[in-house]
Amino acid sequence: MTEKIRKGGDFLIAETACQDVFTPEDFSDEQRAFAETTEKFVADEIIPHLEEIENQDFSHVVAGMRTCGELGLLMMDAAEEDGGLELDKVSSMLVGEKIAGGGSFSVAFSAHTGIGTLPLIYYGTAAQKEKYLDKLITGQWCAAYCLTEPGSGSDALSAQATATLSDDGSCYLLNGTKQYITNGGFAELFTVFAKIDKEHFTCFLVEKSFAGLIVGNEEKKMGIKGSSTTQIILDNCRVPVENVLGEIGKGHKIAFNVLNIGRFKLGAGVTGAAKIALAEGIRYANERKQFGKPIAAFGAIQEKIADVTAAIYASESLVYRLAGLLDTKLATIDKGIPDYYEQYQKGIEEYAPECAISKVFCSEVLAQTVDEVVQIHGGYGFCSEYPAERFYRDERINRIFEGTNEINRLLITGMILRRAMKGELPLQSEAMKAFESLMTPSFDELDDSAPFAAEKATLQNLKTLYLVLAGAGVQKFMDKLADEQEILMAAADIAIQIFAAESAILRAEKIHHSLSAARQQQLIAAVKVFTFNATEAAATAARKAAYYIEEGDTLTMILSGVRRFTKYDATGLLAAKRTLAQAAAETEKYLF
Amino acid sequence: MKKLLVCIKQVPDMESRFKVNTDGTWYEETDLAWRMNEYDEYAVEQAVQLKEQLGEAELTVLCIGPDRVKETIKKALAMGADRGVHMTDNESHLRDPLAIASMIADFARQQDFELIFTGMQSQDRGSAQVGVLVAELLGIPALTTLVEFAYDQGTITAKRELEGGSRALVSCSTPALVTCQLGLNRPRYPTLPNIMKAKKKELASLPVTDLKLPPAQLKTAAMAPPPKRGSARILEGDTGDVAAQLAAVIKEKM
Ligand SMILES: Cc1cc2nc3c(=O)[nH]c(=O)nc-3n(C[C@H](O)[C@H](O)[C@H](O)COP(=O)(O)OP(=O)(O)OC[C@H]3O[C@@H](n4cnc5c(N)ncnc54)[C@H](O)[C@@H]3O)c2cc1C
Repeated sequence: MTEKIRKGGDFLIAETACQDVFTPEDFSDEQRAFAETTEKFVADEIIPHLEEIENQDFSHVVAGMRTCGELGLLMMDAAEEDGGLELDKVSSMLVGEKIAGGGSFSVAFSAHTGIGTLPLIYYGTAAQKEKYLDKLITGQWCAAYCLTEPGSGSDALSAQATATLSDDGSCYLLNGTKQYITNGGFAELFTVFAKIDKEHFTCFLVEKSFAGLIVGNEEKKMGIKGSSTTQIILDNCRVPVENVLGEIGKGHKIAFNVLNIGRFKLGAGVTGAAKIALAEGIRYANERKQFGKPIAAFGAIQEKIADVTAAIYASESLVYRLAGLLDTKLATIDKGIPDYYEQYQKGIEEYAPECAISKVFCSEVLAQTVDEVVQIHGGYGFCSEYPAERFYRDERINRIFEGTNEINRLLITGMILRRAMKGELPLQSEAMKAFESLMTPSFDELDDSAPFAAEKATLQNLKTLYLVLAGAGVQKFMDKLADEQEILMAAADIAIQIFAAESAILRAEKIHHSLSAARQQQLIAAVKVFTFNATEAAATAARKAAYYIEEGDTLTMILSGVRRFTKYDATGLLAAKRTLAQAAAETEKYLF
Repeated sequence: MKKLLVCIKQVPDMESRFKVNTDGTWYEETDLAWRMNEYDEYAVEQAVQLKEQLGEAELTVLCIGPDRVKETIKKALAMGADRGVHMTDNESHLRDPLAIASMIADFARQQDFELIFTGMQSQDRGSAQVGVLVAELLGIPALTTLVEFAYDQGTITAKRELEGGSRALVSCSTPALVTCQLGLNRPRYPTLPNIMKAKKKELASLPVTDLKLPPAQLKTAAMAPPPKRGSARILEGDTGDVAAQLAAVIKEKM
């Protein structure tokens, strides 16, 4: 576990010591055993039925969920007194990563254990947990979460579904339509959001058997075809008053808190999916011969494998660093206190910007991965006989649900600026300093004897650049900045690259001593390739932001700052890519 | 209460790329991932099943090797073994089967084990000797290469796999040692609750230096991957002919 409790978003301002980040190399024997059980479950129980699952034979999904229940994979988050294991976030991320090999099954699993079960765990009364939790954590029942409606997706709080107290006061009558509900076809318990008296946004636990709950038809989807996605129609659906979850009028708290975890878990799941897709791509590149050689011998293919390997390395480093941050924070909360889960939610909320970063960055790494894996397959990647085609289709949804990547980008910048305004993050004062440094030339000599000195210096510079631009944006637009989405998006892009690159660099700095010479060389290569790509991406975003915000002399000055602060000496970049590609071709899988 | 012992080994993940080490006598151990020898998973499963059948029994799991093998012992504990014994030995990969068997026998001698389970062989060294040598050193019968196992009141009835796939029905009375073949049962996955429970089970460390080991009888002179050779055989003739030849080849290889 990492030692220091950090403030969410402070990575943009403060430095982090490498000993303070959690890395996959820190997994305990138990955590590795959880991963092994999950991988074996997927290989033995899901992969053999993948095709039937893709054809929506949900009996295999339901049976798989039962087996997950027997293995204890559904009880990670529930409290011990409720029959759960109350494991740390590192453990549940690791299981989330390994379940990803199950394709569409993993969507059912994630929806059940995440948005399906967590609201009950965090907000349920003892009686509600007594009634439902055991069924969910044993896999006897599957769970679904009903927030989205045809008219309200990103703008979830504008939901139209209504709840009206019955005349005798015994139950609420729910009316409305919920859209795109994962597990809708076979779930037994639905967590439904509706407005009491068209005003008080409230959460309800609705059993499938309650009169008036109607399951709609399966949507015909581009990907994750083996997952169930239906409308849920509430037609005077009678829900007993004791099934109100949490407080009346406080449904939004449930909806948003659960999404924070969902975003972060999605990061772990897509990291797992990316590793699997990459391995498939490397194997194919080794096998496929053109012009008398395996295509893996061509630089053009090697570069793809190297870039993707480095990106997944960053994605993985980011996810587990965040898991460590959360676990460290959550471990400080006394389990005995009556408002434990409230404090727990606050603990998670602290890192809401990082959770959103995890969602956006990792899902986009998966997008890059599956795109290149299809390309490596050539025409065979376009045909469904090879798994590359399914990977490509299945990936797409990850940039849409759990908050679209646009909404999450807006949140990243929005939350950071809000914290700055509230004085929780000293962004303004730091931005002033950064602005001054723009006007003073730097004579600092780089001490290359320290490991990753060039990368760390670049990271510092990117942070300065972020502060310059955020400061300029706030100064120019003040409280109207929220309307300048293009600027918010660009700022988010820089923040995302900073957090990802920092996670990649700190992990390497922490672990490189303990590796063999060959592994060290690969690690250094991955850090170089990723730092280069991240810096270039941040530079483009920064330049855009500069043009969006400023003009005239200030613009010129900021643009020259962009040049200066995105300088990264990536000497040996080509050799680094070849090192990564060759090692990947030898092991035929993700390297780290 | 009956006492059972299962002896397991930690081996590299067989999907790893192996390199011969600088001595040229073993593989390079750095950068490898480690797991339980696959044959031993069947041994652990059978031992746990027997323990469950007996109701009252204590199953000890023993593993020799460096510190990293604890992870593999914990897996056996999570599968249902009651206590773990780790014989700490950083040199175990250099020892010959008799030395390993002697360590196990020294441990087992005073303890009255009703039954000892081992895998048929290890996936890395593959000598298939350790189990049988332990039995010999303890003066108890050994049944090897089991594909079926039953125990009833001091008698083991089992099927052994013979060359070419035929099976021999054998029995003996306990105490005895059995070596387990792949496919003997379906090794269970450790469940998450059991992985957590295993954390609280006893895991004792025994330094191996206290034991007197017999002088090595075997020495590895050199190790090398097999020379690369084209091994394709082109089958010729009409379709029926080719199919018959192919069937013959498959039969021969099975
Ligand atoms: C397969 C699948 C499974 C799903 N599972 C569930 C589930 O189990 N439970 C559930 O409740 N929901 C679920 N959803 C719904 C999902 O969360 C929504 O689709 C998602 O939140 C986006 O909403 P929308 O589709 O209405 O798109 P819209 O909100 O209409 O968005 C359309 C576009 O506009 C952009 N946009 C919207 N608002 C803004 C803004 N303020 N600023 C800038 N850009 C904006 C979006 O980024 C997007 O690009 C699922 C969806 C799918 C497809």
